[in-house]
Amino acid sequence: MLDNLPLLSLLLFSPLVGILALLFVPKQNGNLIKWIAISSTFLPLILSIILLVQFNAHGEGMQFAENVRWLHIELSKYTPVLEGIEHFYYDFSYSLGVDGLSLPLVALTTFITAMAALSSVVIKKRWKTFYLMFLLLEIGMLGVFMARDLMLFFVFFEITLIPMFFLIGIWGNKERERAANQFLLYNGIGSALMFIAFMILISTAGFSFNEEKLSLFYSGSYDVIAANIANLDSFANAADILGGAFFLSDGLKAFTFVLLLVAFGIKLPIFPFHTWMLKVHTEAPPSVVMIHSGILLKMGAYGLFRFGVYMFPEQTQHWAMALAILGVINIVYGAILALVQKELKLVLAYSSISHMGIVLLGIASLNIYGLQGAAYQLISHGLISALMFLIVGMIQERTGTTELDRLGGMAKTLPFISGVFLIAGMASLGLPATSGFVAEFLAFLGLFDKYPVIAIVGTLGIVLTAVYVLRAVLKITFGPTEPAVEGLRDARYIESAPMVALVALILLLGIYPAVLTDMLNNALHLIMRGIGG
Amino acid sequence: MNTDFTQLAWLIPLFPLFAFMIITASGKSQKALGTGASIALTGASFVLSVLILLERLGEDVTNYTWNQFHWLSFGNFTMNFGFEITNLNAMMLVVVTLVSLLVNVYSLGYMKDDERIATFFGYVSLFTFSMLGLVISENLLQLYVFWELVGVCSFLLVGFWYHKPEARAAAKKAFIVTRIGDVGLFIGIALLFWHMPGNKLDFTSIHNAVSAGELTGGIATAIAILIFIGAVGKSGQFPLHTWLPDAMEGPTPISALIHAATMVAAGVYLVARTYDIFLVSEAALETVALIGGFTAIFAATIAVVQKDIKRILAYSTVSQLGYMMFAMGIGTWAAYSAGLFHLLTHAFFKALLFLGAGSVIHAVHEQNIFKMGGLGKTMKITTITFAIGTLALSGVAPLSGFWSKDAILAQAYEHQPLLFWVGLTAAFFTAFYMARLFFVVFTGKSQAKHAPHESPKVMTVPLLILAGLAVVAGFVYFPGNEFLGHWLTGMEMEEHVHWNVIILSNLAALGGIGLGYFLYGKNRDLTVNLATRYKGLHATLTNKYYIDEAYEAAVVKPLGGLGGVLQVFDRVVVEGAVKLSVGVMTGINRIGVHLQNGQTQTYGVISIVGIVVILLWFVGRRFLNVG
Repeated sequence: MLDNLPLLSLLLFSPLVGILALLFVPKQNGNLIKWIAISSTFLPLILSIILLVQFNAHGEGMQFAENVRWLHIELSKYTPVLEGIEHFYYDFSYSLGVDGLSLPLVALTTFITAMAALSSVVIKKRWKTFYLMFLLLEIGMLGVFMARDLMLFFVFFEITLIPMFFLIGIWGNKERERAANQFLLYNGIGSALMFIAFMILISTAGFSFNEEKLSLFYSGSYDVIAANIANLDSFANAADILGGAFFLSDGLKAFTFVLLLVAFGIKLPIFPFHTWMLKVHTEAPPSVVMIHSGILLKMGAYGLFRFGVYMFPEQTQHWAMALAILGVINIVYGAILALVQKELKLVLAYSSISHMGIVLLGIASLNIYGLQGAAYQLISHGLISALMFLIVGMIQERTGTTELDRLGGMAKTLPFISGVFLIAGMASLGLPATSGFVAEFLAFLGLFDKYPVIAIVGTLGIVLTAVYVLRAVLKITFGPTEPAVEGLRDARYIESAPMVALVALILLLGIYPAVLTDMLNNALHLIMRGIGG
Repeated sequence: MNTDFTQLAWLIPLFPLFAFMIITASGKSQKALGTGASIALTGASFVLSVLILLERLGEDVTNYTWNQFHWLSFGNFTMNFGFEITNLNAMMLVVVTLVSLLVNVYSLGYMKDDERIATFFGYVSLFTFSMLGLVISENLLQLYVFWELVGVCSFLLVGFWYHKPEARAAAKKAFIVTRIGDVGLFIGIALLFWHMPGNKLDFTSIHNAVSAGELTGGIATAIAILIFIGAVGKSGQFPLHTWLPDAMEGPTPISALIHAATMVAAGVYLVARTYDIFLVSEAALETVALIGGFTAIFAATIAVVQKDIKRILAYSTVSQLGYMMFAMGIGTWAAYSAGLFHLLTHAFFKALLFLGAGSVIHAVHEQNIFKMGGLGKTMKITTITFAIGTLALSGVAPLSGFWSKDAILAQAYEHQPLLFWVGLTAAFFTAFYMARLFFVVFTGKSQAKHAPHESPKVMTVPLLILAGLAVVAGFVYFPGNEFLGHWLTGMEMEEHVHWNVIILSNLAALGGIGLGYFLYGKNRDLTVNLATRYKGLHATLTNKYYIDEAYEAAVVKPLGGLGGVLQVFDRVVVEGAVKLSVGVMTGINRIGVHLQNGQTQTYGVISIVGIVVILLWFVGRRFLNVG
C-alpha cells in the first residue's frame, strides 16, 4: 500500500500538520502549544523511519523519486527559435528523491528536530510563533536534502534562512538581533553566490535538446546537469555547436566550482568564513543551536558533495589539495581556538569548525574511504553537537551561565547530566565505540593514501581535540563544586529521554558502523563516479 | 588439538562487560549487587581463561581465530572483528583475569567506606572488559579500539575522586599524554593499511606479509616506530612517561591493576603482537632497545629520591617496563620471550607491591614514607608479603623477578653489551630504592599519626596469593628450562647459562639492598648529609629531571600563547576583513536600493532583483548568440 503513496512529499510537508494545528490554538495556551508542537515533530520522525526501513541500501540511484512539472516557462513566445525546434522553455520540476547519502540526513533532520522540540520546552515567551518557525524550518531542511532540482534546492535552502533568522532574533540572548542580522547577511551572501553558480549551471549544463519533442530547454535537474557536464559532446562542453555560445569552458567551470565552494564554505563553515556562526552559537537559544549545528551546517557539506564532487569531478580533483589544506587549517585552527575559550558555547562553536575540517579532509581524499568518513562525520557530528547543546541548554537553564570559570564540580550535583556530558565529550574527541571515531578514522585513512604529509599534520587535531574537550568537560564536571552548581536538580524525565536517545545512536554508530556505511556506499560511489579509482 | 574452551574465548571479555551493564543499570545504591556481580563475573572469566590455558598446554596447539563480525563494510571492503587465541594471548588472559579478580576482592575492603563503591566496581569491570578485548583482538584496528577504551577506563579511575583538583589534573594528563602516543599508533595503522597486500590489518596477514617480504625497508621501519610510539605512551616510556606517576592519584587498587600489571604492559604486548614488523627493521629494534634501556635507568634514578610510596612504585613500574621494552629491542626470540616473561612476573610482584602499599595507606592514611615507619610490628602479613615483593623486584634469586631479569640481562650480554651494563646499573638502583622504601616504612620508629592495624582478610588474602606467585612464577623459564620461551614462540631457545650474568645481577641486587639497609635501616642521618652535599643532583632527581617543567615551557605555554594570538587574529583580522567587505556591499546596496525597512526585506529584494537580472542576462546572451 505504501508503494503508491508519495512518501517523500508526505514527509516533507508533514510538519504542516503541526503548523495547521497550532494556528487554531490561542497563543496564551503554552502547555497545549508545546504538547501539539512536540508531538507533531514525531510525525516526520516516524515517516522517516518508515523510509529507512523501506529503503534498499543496495539499490542504485534515487529511491522514492517523485517528479512533477513545477515551473514551465515557455521562451519561444518571446524569442525566435531555431528552425526545426518546436519548443524552447525553462523546465524546473518539483523533483524529489533520496539516495544513501540524503536519506540518513533526512532521518537526522527529523530526529534532531524532535529532540530539539523536546528541549525547547524551556522557551519562555511566544511559544506559538516559536514552534511555527521551528516547524517551518524543518520543512526547509527536509526539502534541501530531498530536492533533485537546483531551483527547488535553492528555494528550500532559502526557506531555512527566514525562520532561523527569527528564532535567533526573537528568542536569543542579549545580542540576539546582531547575531540574527549577521546570520542573515553571511548566509545571504552565500546564497547569492550559490544562486549565480546555479544560474550558470542551468544556462550551460542545463541546456539540452530533446530529440523526440524537438525542443530545447533549460533544466535544473541534478541528473541532467551532471550528465551534460560529463558528456563531452553536450552543449555544456562544446563551444562550437551553437557558434561560440555561452558554454561551460574550463575557466567557467573553475569559476563556478569556486563559487560553490565559497557558497557552501560559508555554511560549513570553512576558515575564514566562520565568524558568523560563533555569534549564532552563543546568542541563539540552545535548542535552536542543536538544529543549527546539528543539521544546518551539514547542508554546506551536502552541497559540496552534490554540486562539487558530483558535478565537477575534475575541478574537485584539481582543488583536492587545497581542500585538504583548508581542512587541516579548520581542524587545527578551530582546535587551538577552542582551547582558549572561556565560554562553553564558544568552545563548542570552534569545535564544530574543527570537526567540519574532517569533512573537508574526507572529501579531499576523493576515495571511497575518505568520502565515507566525510559523510559519516556529517551524521556523527550532527548527533554529537545536538547532544552537546542539549546539555548546554540544561546547564544554562539551571545555572544561568555557561562561563567555564563559574562552573565546576557538576558531577556531584548533576551526576546524570555530567555522565552524559562526559560521553558526549568522548564522542567528540573521537573515542572508539562512538560514532566520532569511525568518521575520523575513515576520513584520515582516506587522506593517508593521497596526502600522507597533510594527513600527519591533521592528526595534530586528534591530540588538540582531546585537550580542549577534556579541559571544558572536566572543568565543569570535575573539581570542587562552584556556588553556581550547588543544589541543582538532575535531569527531568523529559530531558533525559532525548539524551538517552542521542547517546544510544552515537554508540550504535560507533559499535556497529556497518549500518550506516552500507547505506552510504552506493550513493557515494555514484557521486564519485567521475573521479575514477 | 582440543578447542572446546578456546572457541568460547569471546565470553571472557563479555562477562565483565555484563557486570558493568548490571552495575550501570542497577545504580550506585545497589552496592552488594554491584560488587558481587563484578567479582562473580570476573571470576568466571578467570576460570575460563585457565581452562583455555590448560587446553593450550597440550600437544599440537595452533592459533584459533574467529573473525566473522562485519564491523565496517562498504562495497567490497569489509573490516571484520573477531578474536584470536595464541599462547601469548592465553597467558595474558590468565594474568589479566587473575590480577583483576584479586583486585576486585581486595577493593571490597579498600573501598568499603566509599559511597560510590558500586561505580568503582563498574569502572573496574569496564576496564577488565576492555583489557581482555585488547588481548584477544585479531587485528590491529580492533586492538586500537580497545586500546583507547582501556585508556578511557584508566582516565575514569584515575579521576575517580573527581572533586580533588589533583585527581582531575592527573586524569586529564593521563588521557592526553597517552593520546599523543595513540596518534602515532593511529598513523601507523593507516600506513600499514595502505602498504599491506589486500589492505588487511589482522595479525596473521601481517605475519604472512612480512614473511613473504612484502613489507620491508623504510616503510616497515616507519610503521614499526609509529606502533612503538603508541607503546611508549601506554607503557609510560620516556619521553611520554610523565602521566604514569601522576596517575597515582587514583585509588590504589587501580594502580595495581591498571598502572602496574595490565594496561601499562599493553605497550609491551603490542610490540610483541606486531613483532614481525620490528624484526625486519634494524633501526626500529635499536630504537626500542635504546628507549627501553634509557627509561629503565632514568626512572630508577628518580625513584631513589621520591617520598610518596605510590610514586616510588610508579617510577619503578616505568623502569621495569623499560626493561621489557629493552628486551624486545634486542631482537632475538629468546629476548622476546624474556621480555614477556618479565611482563608475567612483574604483573604479579608489582601488583603485590601496590596492593601492599594500599594496605599500608589504608592503615596509616598517609602516603609519605617518612611519615610511616615501624609498621613491621603491627602489620605482619603486609610486611612479609611486601618483603617478598621487594626481593622479587630487586632480582634476588630464586624469586621470580630474578629469573626474568636474568633472562633479559643474559640476552643483552650476548647482543647489546653496552645496554647490559645499563640494565645492570638499573637493577642496582632498583634494589636500592626498594630497600629504602622497605626499611623506611616497615622498620624503625613509627611516625604515623594513626595507630596502624593489619588490613582485613579480603585485602591480605590477595596479598598472600600474589606473594606466592611472586615466588614461584619464575620457575616456568630459567636456564635449563626453556618451557615458556618455547611455548610462546614455538622455537628452540638457544639459552646459554651465563654464570657471570647470574652472579653479577645477584651482586647488583644484594649490593643495592645492602646499601639501602646501610643508609635507611641504620644510618638515616647520613642520607640528610648526602642530600645537602649533592644539592643540585638531589633537586634534579626530586624534580624528575624537570621534564614536566620543560613540557610546560616548550609545549603548554606556547600553545596557550598561540591560542591567545589566534584569538585576536580571529576577532580582528578575520572578522574585520569580512565586516569590511560586508560593509562595502551594504553600502552599495543602500545607494542602489533605497529601502529602510530592515534586513529581511532588503535581502528579499536583492534576491529577486538578482534573479531577474541574471535570468535576463543569460537568456539574452543565449538568444543573441543563437540569433
